[in-house]
Amino acid sequence: MRRKHVLSLLMLSMGVALLIAATTVGVASSANAKVSSAKSLKGGVLHVAQSAGSFDTLDPGLAYVTNDWEVLYSTGLNLVNFPNKAGQAGSQLFPEAAKSFPTISKNGTTVTFHLRSGLKFDDGSPVTAASYQRAWERILSPKMYAQYGIFDQLNKMVVGAQAFTDGKTQHISGISAKGLTLTFHLTKPNPTFVSILGMQWFNAVKPSMKYSKVSSGILKYPSAGPYYIATNQPGRTVVLKRNKYYHGPRLANPNEIVINSYPNSNGEAALLQIEKNQLDFDMGGVPADDVAKVAKTYGGPNKGQFHVGGQACIIWEAFNNAKAPTNNVNVRKALNYAIGRTPIIRLLGPYAGSASDQILVKGLPGYKKFSAYGNYPNFAKAKAVGGSALNGAPALNIYYNQASTFRTNEAQFEKAQLAHIGLTANLEPSNPTDYYGPLETKGTDYNIAHSGWCADYFDPFDFINVNFDGRSIQPTGNVDYFYFNNSKFNSMMDHAASLSGTARANAYAALDKTLMTKYAPAFPLYVPTFRYLTAKRVKNVIYSNYFGYPILNAMSVG
Amino acid sequence: MVQFLIRRIFWAFFLFFVATIITYIIFFVIPTDPAQIACGVHCVPAILKQVRHSLHLDLPIYQQYWIFVWNMVKHQSLGYSFVNGASVRWVIGQDAPVTASLVFGGAVFWLALSIPIGILSALRPRSIVDRFAMVFVLVGISAPAVWIGLILAYLIGFKLGWTPIAGYCNLLPGGAAGTCSGPAEWAYHLILPWMTFMFLFAALYVRLIRANVMETMTEDYVRTARAKGASAQRVLFQHVLRNSMLPVVTILGMDIGLALGGAVFTETVFQLRGLGSDLVQSAFKDDLPVVVGVVVFATLAVIVFNFLVDVAYAWLDPRIRLNT
Repeated sequence: MRRKHVLSLLMLSMGVALLIAATTVGVASSANAKVSSAKSLKGGVLHVAQSAGSFDTLDPGLAYVTNDWEVLYSTGLNLVNFPNKAGQAGSQLFPEAAKSFPTISKNGTTVTFHLRSGLKFDDGSPVTAASYQRAWERILSPKMYAQYGIFDQLNKMVVGAQAFTDGKTQHISGISAKGLTLTFHLTKPNPTFVSILGMQWFNAVKPSMKYSKVSSGILKYPSAGPYYIATNQPGRTVVLKRNKYYHGPRLANPNEIVINSYPNSNGEAALLQIEKNQLDFDMGGVPADDVAKVAKTYGGPNKGQFHVGGQACIIWEAFNNAKAPTNNVNVRKALNYAIGRTPIIRLLGPYAGSASDQILVKGLPGYKKFSAYGNYPNFAKAKAVGGSALNGAPALNIYYNQASTFRTNEAQFEKAQLAHIGLTANLEPSNPTDYYGPLETKGTDYNIAHSGWCADYFDPFDFINVNFDGRSIQPTGNVDYFYFNNSKFNSMMDHAASLSGTARANAYAALDKTLMTKYAPAFPLYVPTFRYLTAKRVKNVIYSNYFGYPILNAMSVG
Repeated sequence: MVQFLIRRIFWAFFLFFVATIITYIIFFVIPTDPAQIACGVHCVPAILKQVRHSLHLDLPIYQQYWIFVWNMVKHQSLGYSFVNGASVRWVIGQDAPVTASLVFGGAVFWLALSIPIGILSALRPRSIVDRFAMVFVLVGISAPAVWIGLILAYLIGFKLGWTPIAGYCNLLPGGAAGTCSGPAEWAYHLILPWMTFMFLFAALYVRLIRANVMETMTEDYVRTARAKGASAQRVLFQHVLRNSMLPVVTILGMDIGLALGGAVFTETVFQLRGLGSDLVQSAFKDDLPVVVGVVVFATLAVIVFNFLVDVAYAWLDPRIRLNT
């Protein structure tokens, strides 16, 4: 009998200990919540998770993915920037560090900005024109881990930039910084130039900010936006604190923003935490399998805590235009009819996005909705369009990331669809650590590869010229991994790029339609959305379709 | 005893170096090109050559290994992550306390549960308590860590709201700004991971303890003790448990050592950034220095705990010393 008592007492004491621990800390949390609810919307700590991901880098001279830019938007100060406004208004640039939009010379090649006085970094030092000159140098310097500016052809835009990227000069000769006056000398008139400056590469940095040969770049550095990076533990925790010197129009609601990355998590734990108010927001969004349930629980999208926001992106299946059989335009058109967009989107669950068979996306100048191929498979039409090109065509290589369940399912689905029009396919899994390397290497053997493009800046040039200008094709690192090079289309792109205003928008609308109906270099699939849940206490959720996230500095947990 | 200790220490060092050689060869010789991974995107041949030189990959393999060992012993350096440039020592320094908190706390939980249940089952074989214990053992052995963790997180963390669903707080106050810390928060956040560990391991230990106690109860010296009039309590604690716990100590040392190398599933479910979690992530990204660092650390942990087990074993059972 005594032994039984010993065991019972032991179990009882364990249970009591657990309960005491649970209730004491739990009560403390509830008490804090009640106190804070009485305060203003400003204040508090915004707790953010990043499931299934982490930041590549928070160095503005290296960052080139949306989650990195989401943070940099809260820490950086650009000459021109996006306001904290929802919808279309949020994608209209306003002069932030600049007093006004720039003055442009008559020949269109000299662009001059005058900076506001009194702007400061979080360490109290002044923001000057040299801060932006350095930002340009860091994105193009061969002394950096990667010269991402070349992706967007920045090296061709400014006088002396190519020589600088080649390591022949110490500075970009076409950028002059004197006090608060910054002048760019462009190689040719460029109507997109001001839009480009809204990219997070062009955050003000101290002129002394070093170059970095490490992929994570400089971890902490003075910044001039609403927040600064107080802690940056790569792959783990990032803490942003309010910059007391920022007095611009963008919001700085939370006192601190704490972002914990969980690369191995699928987001289920974060979802439960948000529902229990233990977490405010997950940058990984709601796991696809849970979207339907979450939508039902919270009364549908955008009616409370569950949100769905469109992104300025187009997801596509890239075709290799340089390799048989996708080097044949009739095969490419046949694939556009045969694969089917809606069935693939359904693999991602509800509210995943809207089908599209064009390159431009809503919100871009020149976007005009059209549908050339339809959203559902049409095998009869595909066979008719493909004609003899489908007969005896070699097997296609479908390149995909096998680490992703969706990509794997998608590749298998495509293979099955191809069989309906008499084509065979090999599924070619990528190296899990290097998806884009082989894709961007000239001579690659893929025929179909899942990929996509999000707006670097709001201009059709960024979607059409950047991706489909075959003159940019090099041995490696190709943005045009379609290997599409058509001299006639190149000329049309050059012409459209030289226009401005309505003429430019119309020219790009025509280019978008011509590209897809005449050449079909890709299989545009859908415009994705970001599906996310916020905790009950989170207010002032302003979604940016440019970043594809709600704006962190605007969220309120006060 | 001194001779025994010296011999064991020598073997611990020898094993450690053998393990590092094997680890080094596996991770630095078999992969295609570590320099290419380290060099990153748009790596041109000239820079690739520089990177290869800086990583000493242009030297013969034995020299590379020697530099690796030298850096490890002289500078306590395990290199730098290819992915984010962080010092591997820093990464392990961040991860190890998380995993250690999980494993040691979990060990306390599973022992606290399995010892009483195991003894009780052994003392009352085929009783209702024993049968319940066996059901518990079967469920614990059969259920994957991920499933147990998710069920606990959902029921206790989400539905009942008694504990945090996931996350970690540092034991000692301080750490990164905006992050939680302190013993109370630390324990509060680890209750569910510890319980997950408890269910996984307690099942095995209940079975082990039950079998050992039952076997020891039939030994001659136990019968002799009873015949001499020793109380049931004295027989159990002084004669049965001391001997039946020897295999438990051995297994415990090995389990703790192995678990320190990575409790991947538990860490993943509860969003704990420990060694296992980082090992998996680094392996996916071909981040070889971190993989090597964690493996070396885990090897060291296994060796150290085996050494401690050996010493404890020798202390508990004098025959061990005499025979070695």
